[in-house]
Amino acid sequence: MDQEALRKIIEQAIREVAAAQDQAVPAAQVPAASSVAGSGEMTLTENGDATRGTDPKEVVIALSPAFSSTIHETIIGLKHSDVLRQICAGIEEEGLKFRFIRVYKTADVGFVAHEAAKASGSGIGIGIQSRGTTVIHQKDLPPLSNLELFSQAPLIELDTFRAIGRNAGQYAKGMSPDPVPVRNDQMARPKYQAVAALLHNKETKLTQKSKKPQAVQVSFN
Amino acid sequence: MGMVAGIDIGNATTEVALAVREGAGMRFLASATTPTTGIKGTKDNIKGVFHSLSIALDKAGRKLEELELIRINEAAPVIGDVAMETITETIITESTMIGHNPSTPGGVGTGVGITIRIEDLGAASAGDYVVVVSRSHDFAEVAATINAARVNVTAAVMELNDGVLVNNRLDHMIPIVDEVGLIDKVPIGMKAAVEVAETGRIVEVLSNPYGIATLFELSPEETKQVVPLARALVGNRSAVVIKTPAGDVKERRIPAGSLTFHGITATAATEIVVDVDSGADEIMQAASRMREIHDITGEPGTNVGGMMEKVRVTMGQLTSQHPRDIKITDMIAVDTMTPKQVSGGLANEFSMENAVGIAVMVQADRLQMQAIAQDIAAQIRIPVEVGGVEADMAIRGALTTPGTSAPIAILDMGAGSTDASVMRADGTGVSTHLAGAGNMVTLMIQTELGLDAWDAAEDVKRHPLAKVETVFSIRHEDGSVQFFDEPLPPHLYARVVVIKPEEGLVPIGVDLPVDAIRNIRIRAKERVFVANAVRALRRVSPTDNVRDIDFVVLVGGSALDFEIPQLVTKALAEYRVVAGRANIRGTEGPRNAVATGLALSWGEQ
Repeated sequence: MDQEALRKIIEQAIREVAAAQDQAVPAAQVPAASSVAGSGEMTLTENGDATRGTDPKEVVIALSPAFSSTIHETIIGLKHSDVLRQICAGIEEEGLKFRFIRVYKTADVGFVAHEAAKASGSGIGIGIQSRGTTVIHQKDLPPLSNLELFSQAPLIELDTFRAIGRNAGQYAKGMSPDPVPVRNDQMARPKYQAVAALLHNKETKLTQKSKKPQAVQVSFN
Repeated sequence: MGMVAGIDIGNATTEVALAVREGAGMRFLASATTPTTGIKGTKDNIKGVFHSLSIALDKAGRKLEELELIRINEAAPVIGDVAMETITETIITESTMIGHNPSTPGGVGTGVGITIRIEDLGAASAGDYVVVVSRSHDFAEVAATINAARVNVTAAVMELNDGVLVNNRLDHMIPIVDEVGLIDKVPIGMKAAVEVAETGRIVEVLSNPYGIATLFELSPEETKQVVPLARALVGNRSAVVIKTPAGDVKERRIPAGSLTFHGITATAATEIVVDVDSGADEIMQAASRMREIHDITGEPGTNVGGMMEKVRVTMGQLTSQHPRDIKITDMIAVDTMTPKQVSGGLANEFSMENAVGIAVMVQADRLQMQAIAQDIAAQIRIPVEVGGVEADMAIRGALTTPGTSAPIAILDMGAGSTDASVMRADGTGVSTHLAGAGNMVTLMIQTELGLDAWDAAEDVKRHPLAKVETVFSIRHEDGSVQFFDEPLPPHLYARVVVIKPEEGLVPIGVDLPVDAIRNIRIRAKERVFVANAVRALRRVSPTDNVRDIDFVVLVGGSALDFEIPQLVTKALAEYRVVAGRANIRGTEGPRNAVATGLALSWGEQ
C-alpha cells in the first residue's frame, strides 16, 4: 500500500466522518431486499434473512458489513474474491459444503464469526472482516472465545486462508487439526495500525443494529 | 521418649516416616513424600532429605532437636538408566513409491499410465497417462486441462492439497494422490499405478504383491522383489507405485552391535554374546541363561557400545568412581516401534521402524550412603545411621498392611528399578533388583507416540485419556460420556486429553484415536511391569517357580498407578498368586514401606 493509496483512504474517511456529522439523522441506509455487490471477479447477491442450517456437512462463512460491498481487498491487497475462493477450497477439499451470510449488527470479527457458527449446521463458522482479520468459531463457545483467531490481518496470506478453510472443515468433521501456524511480526502493528483503524471505521459505519444476518449468494466469475 | 525418622531415598521420591517409641511398639506421627533431588545414592539427595524431613516434622508439630536418630536406607542396590536403539530403516531408491497417506486424496479407484507433467499433456501421443502436477497450477486450471485432454488421463499425483477439489471438477472420476512434497523427484515417462481407496478403507491392489504384478505384468522373479514395496503400503488409504529400472524398497537392519553378558550360568563362569538387532526376545533369553550377571558390555565402536559406555561414564561421575569400575548387573530389553522418516521418500513418509528399548541397572557404591549419612549428621548434629538392606526394610513396612503375614513376597515397583524380596516364616529372606520400571514405560510411550517431551509421555503414562467431543462433553477412554455445565476452554475442543487430578483436562499433541494411544500405554506397562514381576518373583522364589509364592504385595511409586497394579494382579493370577496393592500402616497406600520399615526395625532393637 503506497502513500497515494493511503492518502485516498484517509481523505475518504475524513469526508465520511464529516458527512456523518453534518447529517442530523445518521444515514441508516436501507437497501432493497436483494442487493448485488461485486468486484468483477465475484458477485455477491443477498437473498433475505439467513436461515439456521441443519446440514452437519456445512461450514458457514460470515462476512462483515463492508466485505466486498465498499471494500474489495484485504489490508495487504489480496482480492476478496481470491480470499473467499481459498477458504472455500479448503472446506471443499475436506469434503464439506460452505454457505455465506453477511452480518450487519456488528463489525467485531469475534461476533461475526459467532453468528456464522450459530447459523452453521455443523456448529463451525468462519468470520471474516474486510481487512482480512479472521476467526474460526464454534456455536457453543462464548462469543469472545474462539477456536482459532487470526488477528494480524497484514500477515494473512492466501495460503493461510486455504488452511483456515481446511481446519474449519476438519473441526466440523470432529477431527483435531493442528492450529494454522501464524507468523508474528511486531512491526505489523505500528506499520498498519492507522490503515486498520480507518478500514475498521469504514466497516463500523455500515453496521445496522437491528438488521438480521442476510443470506449471501457468492458466484465467482 | 525417643523419636526416630526413617528416611527412604528412592529413584523418584524421598519418603520420611516419623515415629516415637511407645511401650514395646512404635507409634507413627507423620509421613512425608517429596521428589528426590539428584540421582539416588549421591550427595545431591541431602537437600531433598531435609525438605521431606521438615514437612513431616511440621505435620507432627515437632522440632528437629527432638529427634533421637535418623535412619536412612542402605540404598546400595541400584541406579537405572534407559535408552532406545532403532534397528531397522526403510529406504526407497529411485522414487518407486509414494505411501504417505494424505488426509484427503481425491477420487476412488486404481489408475495405470505413464507419468507425464501436466504442462506436456497437450503434446502427448495417444495412450494412458498419470499426470504429475506441481504447486504452480491452480486446481480449477488442472481440472480444465485434464477435462480437455485428448489422451486418456487415468490418475494424478499432486504437490498441493488439491485432490478433492480437482476431482470435484472433473468429468470422469480418477484417483488423485496429493500433498506430495518432492513432486520434482517423481520420475517422468515411467509406468505408474495410483490407487485411492474409499474413506475408511485401505488400498487393496497396491498392497498385494500379485496386484502389483498384474498391473505391471511382472515375472515371478520380479514379483518377489516387490514384496517389501507392497508391505510398505499396507494400511494406507492411497498409494502410488512407479516402475523404474532399478527402483526398490528395502527394509535394512541397522547393525546395532552386540552385547556381551559376563557372569555365571547354571554350570560355569562364562560369556554370552548376543546381537542387539536380533531383538529383545533374544537378548532376554541370553540374560535368563545367566544365574548371576557380573557385568554387561557393548561391542566397542557400535551404537550399543556407545550407549553402555555413556551409562558407565554418567554413573561414574555421579558416584565418583572410574567408569571402568561400574558394573552393569541387569538389563531388560523390550521390542518397540518408533516412527522414522523414510529415506528416499517423496512425501515425507513415515514408517514405523523396529527399535529395542533397553534399561540397565548399575551396582552402586555402598559407601555413598555412609557418606550421605555423615554429611546429614554433620549438618544437624543428630546421629544418622544406615539401616538394613532396603528390601528387608520394605518387607517390614509391607507387613504393616492389614491382612498380610509372612511368608510373603513384595514387589517394589519404582521409577528406576523393580525389586522383589521374599520373607519366609522364619524371618530369613532373599531379594533381587531388576532393571526397568516406570521410566522405561515412559520412554516406550514417548518413542511409540513420537512425543518430543518426556513430561508429555509421563502424563500419558499416569492419567486416563478422554476425547473432547463437544464444547460441553468428553468421552472417556472406556466409552462413557461426561457432561459439563460450563463450556470447556476452546483449546481443548476436539482434542485428545489426559485427565489430571489437579490441572483437569490437558491436551496431548498426538493426532491418534484414544484407543490407539491407550493400547500403546497398556502394552508398554505390560511389557515392563508384568514381565519384570514374573522375572523378579522367579528369582526370589525358593524353587525358581513363581507358583511357589502365595502372597505378593505391591509397593513403590508405580504401584500408585491407576492400572499397573491391576495389570500385574491379573497376570499373576495365572500363576495362582494372590497379588495386590499394599496399604502401609493401613493409611499410606503403597508408599512409605521402606521408611516405615526403617523406623520399625529401630523399635525392635
